[in-house]
This record gives sequence, structure tokens and C-alpha cells, in this order.
Amino acid sequence: DGVAILPAPQNLSVHSTNMKHLLMWSPVVVPGEIIHYFVEYQGEYESLYMSHIWIPSSWGSPTEDPECDITDDITATVPYNLRVRASLGSQTSAWSTLQHPFNRNSTILTPPVMEVTKDGFHLVIKLEDLGPQFEFLVAYWRREPGAKEHVKVVRSRGIPVHLETMEPGVPYCVKVQTLVKAIGRHSPFSQVECVRVQGETLPL
Amino acid sequence: GQEFQFGPCRVEGVVLQELWEAFWAVKDIVQAKDNITSVRLLRKEILQNVSDVESCYLIRALLKFYLNTIFKGYLGKAADSRIRKSFSTLANNFFVIASKLQPSQENDMFSISESARRRFLLFQRAFKQLDIQSAQTKAFGEVDILLTWMEKFYQ
Repeated sequence: DGVAILPAPQNLSVHSTNMKHLLMWSPVVVPGEIIHYFVEYQGEYESLYMSHIWIPSSWGSPTEDPECDITDDITATVPYNLRVRASLGSQTSAWSTLQHPFNRNSTILTPPVMEVTKDGFHLVIKLEDLGPQFEFLVAYWRREPGAKEHVKVVRSRGIPVHLETMEPGVPYCVKVQTLVKAIGRHSPFSQVECVRVQGETLPL
Repeated sequence: GQEFQFGPCRVEGVVLQELWEAFWAVKDIVQAKDNITSVRLLRKEILQNVSDVESCYLIRALLKFYLNTIFKGYLGKAADSRIRKSFSTLANNFFVIASKLQPSQENDMFSISESARRRFLLFQRAFKQLDIQSAQTKAFGEVDILLTWMEKFYQ
């Protein structure tokens, strides 16, 4: 086993948005050389009961970039320990471990991108595909005094969904938020978009 | 949707599909190592006709056994990283479920918890009749039987 003379990677951090998790660190630089990195993880169960067990990351063992997509490794809503080391030929660095375990329930949830359209008299919405963990809560209403807000939970992704048959001349408005059951959280609502039959989309 | 409801015990935050995918990834490898095909640990009479109320006691006992006895021993020997990856998904999600299960300890529930305990003892006795390594391998290979039963309580 090569003597660890390579410096260990520093400044590990996880950037997580919409349940996509990216582990990043400062690169180890040896002029003229290509450094490979090896990423490993362990969930709460391993860290409690078998702390010697670490599992190679699906996409980061090895990698040449100072980052690794760990989304496929984080498959439970528990704290995960993550570590990285550098390698150059037979030389390997010490492990650097993420200072605070990462839990996917800390992911940043952003309002979803939506496309509100009219299909004849039909109010139709199309939502971006964020993956199987996501559901969408769609709120829609007629923009007139005393109008009732309707709510629909949509699971289909990237497919147009019919919301309502519209009455001509009345603006209909829509807003959406994502729901992630695996972590029991939802995103903020999107901007409101309104359409009217025989009228143009009316940004608020 | 996407939560377990074992009678009065409700568990959110676990995506059953993730567990299935983890097991399917290693099913053939794991079940091929099970040479004792004439024995089944999770026999029909253990999981059949379990009432909702009883299910919380039974699943808690089974998951704790898997976590403390089966996974703990099995993982140390699993060199294949695919098995370790799947194992980690299953173990950590079982850990989440087990930690959220709070069955009632009231006296009037004694007969129900006893029924669940008898069912669990059937499983544990069958497990102990095999050598530990064969038993751990077989039990890990039977996770699909367990998940199929758990699926009945997943909404």
C-alpha cells in the first residue's frame, strides 16, 4: 500500500437541490499529473453497528473531477458519512471525511417549472420531470371575487394534465409546489400563471 | 400516499420502490448462495392472516432481528460492493422503519402482542435450526417475502 504522501482533499461539502446530491471538494494539485479520487459512504446503520464498513460510491470511485454525484448512494432518509481520498499511481492520500453527516431531508426544494396552456376550452398544465420521488400539488382557481381554490395532486411527470374546462372570458390562474414524501417536505409555490380563453397568458 | 400503516403504527419517509430495487439488484447473487432449498424461514403460517393491529408488533420484531442478527453478520462477509450497496439501502431503511414503530404496550393488547410473538418465535426457531451463516444467507434471500408482506401495509 503506497505511503500516503499526497495531501488529502479538503473543504468537502454537499450541494443538494431537488433530491440531487453532489459531493464537492477542493482539488489536490500535482503539476503535470492527473489525480484520481475515491469516494465512499456509510449510512447511519453502518456507522452505528459496523463503522469499519464503507461502500464505494456508484459514480465517484474513481473520478478525476473534484466532485461526485452521490444521488444513487443516498437511498434512505438517515445521516450518511462521506469520505474522499486522492490517488496518484501507487501514492494515496489519507481519507478526508465530511465534517457533518449528510441527510437528504436537508435538500433544497425549488418551485417546479410549469407550462400552463389552453387546449380549446381546456386548462392544461405540463410539469418538469424531477424524478420518481416527486409529486406536485397544483392549485388553480378562477380569478374572480370569492372564487374557490381547487387542488390536485399530480404524479405524472412531463405529461400534460387536464385541470379544468374553462368558461370563455374568465381568467384561470395556477400555481404549483413539489411534494417529496421520502423526506416529508414540500417546495415553495411557483409563480402564479393565468390564462384566459381567447386571451394571452397574463403574467401577474 | 407512500407511507406504511401497520395498524396504529404509521411510518413515513421510506420509499418501498427503493427497497425493491435494492433487493432485485442482488437477488440472484444472494439466493444462489442459499443451498438449503427445502427450508423456508418466513413460512406461510408466520405471515398469513395477520391482523392490522398485530402487524405492528410482528414487523417490529422481524425488522429488529434482521438488523441485529442477520444484517450485522452478513455484511461483514459481503465483499461484493453491489451486495454492500443493496444491503446498505435495506438496512438503513429497515432502521428508519423500526425506529418509528411504537406499538402500544397497554395490557389489553397483551393477547395480540403475544400472538405476534408466537409468529416471530416460529421464524426465530427455524433460523436457529440452521448454522448461522446458512441462516443469514437464507434470511437475506427471503427479503422479497418480507417486502411482499410489508407491501400490503403500504399506501
